[in-house]
Amino acid sequence: MSPTENPVTSAEAPARPRRRLRSRRPLITAAALAVVVAAALAVTVATRDDPGPAARGAAASGPVAGGTLRFAVAGTQVTLDPAVAATAVTGLIDRNIFDSLVAQTAPDRFEPWLASKWTVSEDGRTYTFTLREGVTFHDGTPLTAEAVKATLDHVVDPKTKSAYAASLIAPYEKATVLGDLEVEVRLKRPFTPFLQALSVPYLGIQSPAALAKPAGQYVPVGTGPFAYVSWEKDRRVTLKRNPAYSSPPAGAAHRGPAHLDGLVFEFVSEDATRYGALTSGQVDGIAGVPPVNAKALQSLPGFTLTAQETPGLNYNLYFNQTRGPLRDVRVRRALSASVNVPQLIQNIYFGHYKAARNPLSATTAAYDASAEQALASYDLDEAERLLDEAGWNETGPDGYRVKDGKTLTLTWPYWAEGNKEQRDVLAEGIQAQAKLAGIKIERPTVDTGTFVEKHLIGGGYDLVDVSFARPTPDVLRFAFASGNTYAKAGGNVALVDSEEIDRWVEEAAATSDPETARRDYANVQREVLEQAYVLPLYTPVQLTGFSTAVRDVAFDAQTYPVFHGAWLKRA
Amino acid sequence: MARRAARRIGLILFVLWGAATLAFAGLRLVPGDPARIIAGGVQASASPAVLDAIRAEYGLDRPWPVQYLIFMGRLLRADLGASYQLNRPVAEVIGEQLGATLALAAGAVAGGLALAVALAVLTAGRPRARALARALEFCAISTPAFWTGILLLAVFSFHLHWFPVLGEGGVRALVLPWLTLTLSIAGVLAQVTREGMERALDQPFTLTARSRGAGENRVRLRHALRHAALPLLTLSGWVLGELLGGVVVVEAVFARQGLGQVIVTAVAGRDFPVVTGVVVLAALTFALISAALDVLYRAVDPRLRRAAT
Repeated sequence: MSPTENPVTSAEAPARPRRRLRSRRPLITAAALAVVVAAALAVTVATRDDPGPAARGAAASGPVAGGTLRFAVAGTQVTLDPAVAATAVTGLIDRNIFDSLVAQTAPDRFEPWLASKWTVSEDGRTYTFTLREGVTFHDGTPLTAEAVKATLDHVVDPKTKSAYAASLIAPYEKATVLGDLEVEVRLKRPFTPFLQALSVPYLGIQSPAALAKPAGQYVPVGTGPFAYVSWEKDRRVTLKRNPAYSSPPAGAAHRGPAHLDGLVFEFVSEDATRYGALTSGQVDGIAGVPPVNAKALQSLPGFTLTAQETPGLNYNLYFNQTRGPLRDVRVRRALSASVNVPQLIQNIYFGHYKAARNPLSATTAAYDASAEQALASYDLDEAERLLDEAGWNETGPDGYRVKDGKTLTLTWPYWAEGNKEQRDVLAEGIQAQAKLAGIKIERPTVDTGTFVEKHLIGGGYDLVDVSFARPTPDVLRFAFASGNTYAKAGGNVALVDSEEIDRWVEEAAATSDPETARRDYANVQREVLEQAYVLPLYTPVQLTGFSTAVRDVAFDAQTYPVFHGAWLKRA
Repeated sequence: MARRAARRIGLILFVLWGAATLAFAGLRLVPGDPARIIAGGVQASASPAVLDAIRAEYGLDRPWPVQYLIFMGRLLRADLGASYQLNRPVAEVIGEQLGATLALAAGAVAGGLALAVALAVLTAGRPRARALARALEFCAISTPAFWTGILLLAVFSFHLHWFPVLGEGGVRALVLPWLTLTLSIAGVLAQVTREGMERALDQPFTLTARSRGAGENRVRLRHALRHAALPLLTLSGWVLGELLGGVVVVEAVFARQGLGQVIVTAVAGRDFPVVTGVVVLAALTFALISAALDVLYRAVDPRLRRAAT
């Protein structure tokens, strides 16, 4: 609010004497100034002295039925069909509408949900599910084997244009109805992560009657604790309690229908607005508390902040090992050793995010803490030594290392649209530290199309950063198997091409022996750090804020809030 | 008269054709495979089979000229097609969101005009009041709508609880968005209007009016303002452009639904039919407004009427 200097100095008034008004002018000026100052003051205190219900520490009493919980989410969505959508917000909303066949209750534990039991054949290719009895969809259709088949067929149908769900069950071949409540799923190859895939909302079981309607008239109809009421585009999705709900997952603290009468998801994409809506009591909770506000919210009476570390792949920097200087493992390890990741993370995120030392998040099954011994962690002398050894032993006039007349330059495209959590600032820190070792990192800004075509598919990059949340160690196959390059809808952006890694991840995905899988995944974690295909940066954290009136919200394996057992404590 | 009307209509059609063609070309010149973007963007993990299905369904696998002819053929039949992302007719998508945006834009224009005229009438030719008004106007012009919106929200919604940011809509939820857009429009309009008025106040006819005994208010409102109205009308085109941009920002800051959000989502997701639909609608609005202005010019300035006949 400072560009006032122009108008004040440009008082080149043509001294036209006019009567009236003169005596009142100082008053007007003073009043105007007062308004501006008052507004500025109000803003600075706005976030501090909200009265709030101050209900923290109130006597514990049982859940109260009724009320509508309003939850603000970031981002927008183009469909509510979980089989189609790839957006996280759709998964978050749909989790309350749809139940899944199985529930993930721990990093490597799956328990009954809509399927009361299941068996896996010897060859690992046939899963037979027995469904829970007496469950009905919101539209009255009973849950049968037919519904499971319809859901899975709908997901893999190319006409559905699934952006995410279909990739989770890529080995799916067909489903066969064996009886009213018995369905057999046949896979093209053994695939252990199948159960985990089935547990996510994107593969929630849908009413076959609803799926039979044309795509334009799609409405989400599941068996979940809340039923769909309306979707006002870019504004809100309204759900109401499903009074007949009887199918919570194994281990749920609350068994019957939801306590809440209604659940409203408000789309508020602007961080400051969403945060303000929570602190001013206009919503009861928000997803994605901006990290800069996290501390303030924690100390604000009447509000709680929960932090959930996301499972899956950390926010990592991948080194394209097929191109330029990074073909040499010594250069990759040197780059890795030139960056003091813990210091950068501490300085930028003030302890809200943890620095990572493994490509996998610690909350993922088969996470192997000992793998970090293979990481080329911060050691500038070692970085210098490795670069010398690799032949980059001359130094150019600008301080960067030179070999055969070429400067040690790496390209790290900056896709601004995907920037979040101050990742651009972190990148600047990495740039600055790599420079100390004589490595030049360039960050051309690119639009989405160029990023995808030229860089991700065309391979025109040396470094690329990405995180990928999914609670299964199978993400290692997604990220490092040679067949899973981005062009083939995978996440192998380091373009790793290692027979050993391929064998490990394939075996781990196919084996029914947990010990073998664990060993294989541990090997992968060690190997990718040893080879410095990846530099782990930090574990993303879901920061969720609630008013203290909101009680008993749980979080599922994917860190989505679960509102089934939630209730509102009236002030 | 009839000839002029025919020319007008011809011109409007030409503008529409130009806008639609530019939208078509622009969307195809943007780098990147549209099928992949439609399938969910960078994070999407759609299989090649799905991408092929998308290309075939929307004819993206055909040569450009063929795509263009099909596109134009549809447009001639006033068929905007169906949204790729929403699986619904474009007309329906736009129609559903148009009301919210119209309410926002209409209020902002009315507010901006009223504020600008009031400021100009009160401060024209009064050096100190003018200096203060100009300072505030420059503030309003140079503050991005995004920032104005956040400030207004922080004070009047989050702190004072006077206006909701969410809620059932209605007029109360519209006040702050209106104010945000009003301020950015009024800043420029007030300056132009005041300049026009000061020029008019310096004209001999003002002296004549005064010498006939006209009071200050009468001179300003009846004589000077009318002269200042011409440049004000000319700026309406600019106002429309400002609104189009402002609506996108304001809708995001205030978590409102509307065309701004529709177009942002559609451009990001390469939803060609929706983007084209909004562009054609904007071009049509623009053409209609400039046609209406032509008529208004004549109403305001009798000289134009005489020159035309």
